[in-house]
Amino acid sequence: MVRFLQACADGLLTGALYALIGMGLALIFGVMRIVNFAHGAFLMVGMYATYVLFDYFKLNPYIGFLPAGIALFIFGYLVYMALIRPIRDRSHFMQILMTTGIGLILTDAAQLIFKADYRQTNIDLINRSVHLGPFGANAAEVLSFAIAVAFVVGLRAFVVRSRTGQALRAISQNAEIAPLMGINLVRIQGISFALGTALAGIAGGLLLPRLYLFPGVGEDYTTKAFVMVVLGGMGSIEGAAFGGLVLGLSESLTSLYLGNQWALIIDFALFLLVLSFKPSGIFGRQRA
Amino acid sequence: MRFKAIAALGILSLASIIPAFGQATTKIGVITSLTGSLAAFGEAHKNGYAIALDEINAKGGVLGKKIELDFYDDQSKPDQAVQGVSKLIDQDQVPVLLGSYSSESTKAIVPAVSQRETPLIIPTATADNVMDSKSPWIFRVCAGANDYAKATIAFLKANGAPKKMAIIYENTNFGQSNMKAMTAAAKEAGIELVAVESYEAKSPDYKAVLQRVKQANPDVIYFCSYLLDATTLMRQSREVDLNPKFYTSAGTGFAAAEFPTEKGAGKNAEFTFSVSQWLPEAKWAGSKEFDAEFFKRFKTHPAYHAIQAYAALRVAAEAINNAKSLEPAKIRDAIKNINMSSTPFGPIKFDNGQNLHPVLITQVQKGQYRVVFPADAAEAKPVIPAPAWSKR
Repeated sequence: MVRFLQACADGLLTGALYALIGMGLALIFGVMRIVNFAHGAFLMVGMYATYVLFDYFKLNPYIGFLPAGIALFIFGYLVYMALIRPIRDRSHFMQILMTTGIGLILTDAAQLIFKADYRQTNIDLINRSVHLGPFGANAAEVLSFAIAVAFVVGLRAFVVRSRTGQALRAISQNAEIAPLMGINLVRIQGISFALGTALAGIAGGLLLPRLYLFPGVGEDYTTKAFVMVVLGGMGSIEGAAFGGLVLGLSESLTSLYLGNQWALIIDFALFLLVLSFKPSGIFGRQRA
Repeated sequence: MRFKAIAALGILSLASIIPAFGQATTKIGVITSLTGSLAAFGEAHKNGYAIALDEINAKGGVLGKKIELDFYDDQSKPDQAVQGVSKLIDQDQVPVLLGSYSSESTKAIVPAVSQRETPLIIPTATADNVMDSKSPWIFRVCAGANDYAKATIAFLKANGAPKKMAIIYENTNFGQSNMKAMTAAAKEAGIELVAVESYEAKSPDYKAVLQRVKQANPDVIYFCSYLLDATTLMRQSREVDLNPKFYTSAGTGFAAAEFPTEKGAGKNAEFTFSVSQWLPEAKWAGSKEFDAEFFKRFKTHPAYHAIQAYAALRVAAEAINNAKSLEPAKIRDAIKNINMSSTPFGPIKFDNGQNLHPVLITQVQKGQYRVVFPADAAEAKPVIPAPAWSKR
């Protein structure tokens, strides 16, 4: 029982970061209907940005993720305006090609600049652990969990309360009528894309101390992010966060009971099950 | 038009002849992992090669010409290593090839090199399947996975003969083949395997794996790991409070120069056992001098990966000189018959392509690797059991 609960706790610690990644993609893909295959690459860029701040300015990654997130917001906005906006009304196929291309260029650029080396950020915190009765957790993971939860809650409040958030939801409900109500479609889409990119970057920064950093680190996360969005239901930001938690839990429990090598297989089995039996996702709304 | 084509051909063929005449050096091909996840080991290779290179060239090189190393970086990826074979042999026409670093990359290049009938000298790949092809072009300087497993078992037998073992291995050729070797050796010794767990080196969350192992409650853990994963495994072993009597390992990450330092696992490395193929304190003439030269140049002490690269290049140079030729077939025959009675890596002589090299067991004590087995080479007593994490 202790082992089960410990695995659940570990799963949620990871799941909260997944939730950030998933919500980022939910904004871009679920809400704005832009199929974004560069999401993992944006996460990787966030990791390198945080890493550079750590390496050159000795900035702790748990502070450095913030400027990295802001940089990614601007970067995401520029990418949207320059590359995505011209094709936003074209087929999803075009978007897949475009975003895959962006992802490849970012990965190769990282390889060019930083080489294929695996890097680790050895911060003091990663060597400390927190104990609560029979349970233990890495202090760095607990901190990144807390920050991730704060961002998840904050983002939800932003989407529900703020004017921009309302506009965003309006577009998600009906992209044709919303502009007639005076909503600037391009601006809101740009902001969503930038926000989604920033979330991927923030998650990357928070993941940095726990992962090895190398140019291809983001690849798995693109697919995982799609799994989360589909699990939670297209168009639902809360759903994607939920999908992230489910994915974290499932990976942790699979590793414990079946072995590490099963984790990804079960991830995608879940994905296929949801697609086959409840394509609208667990939180999703049916759409025409 | 026709004339132009002929002229172009003429220029092309001239261009291909000129370098052969104009070459003031002899190129030897090297494939290793200068970047990527195994870059720390590629760096060790490069440094070991550099020392051998200067030593050989100071003595006049080979066949009256200096040696030049033609490096190809496989980025720690097997497919890149195979590309390196084509670049170095087909384009640069090196007469002999050294490399790669990992078992995975080395296994990948064996067929490509054999097919091109060029000798390959393997410095560090311990997976025994790199020698499976029985190709006459393949030679290995280091001892292999079976030797690691046997040495570890002999050490355990001499130190309380524990009964229950868990194997944790990274899931590529190196880890798999060391896992298989240890599985067979443990069975033979009557040691029960209570857990055999693999992991993917690139995603560093091994806690679930370690939890499973903890549940199985082994006396001994045998790790087959590279450097980054070895570091993380020890940190997470502490987090899940995993306390076997023996942390043993198939060298590699657990034997890397960085491992017991702050750049690696630091204090968490303490008390871990590892197989080792060489240490600066080894009894062979030249070991200390190699260590001193290495430290002078690179400000760190070498682990065995560096001296194996050094030894591989020494073998190549000696073979070329013995063959008195740069023809790959003649070099191959010279390697077959080589008999270097004294190198800093010990005597080198190949039996069916394999250099028979002894394996030592070391333990990290106060941040240093100390030889604890076999008795005739031991310089320190092993600390057994490893103290529980809560008591460190």
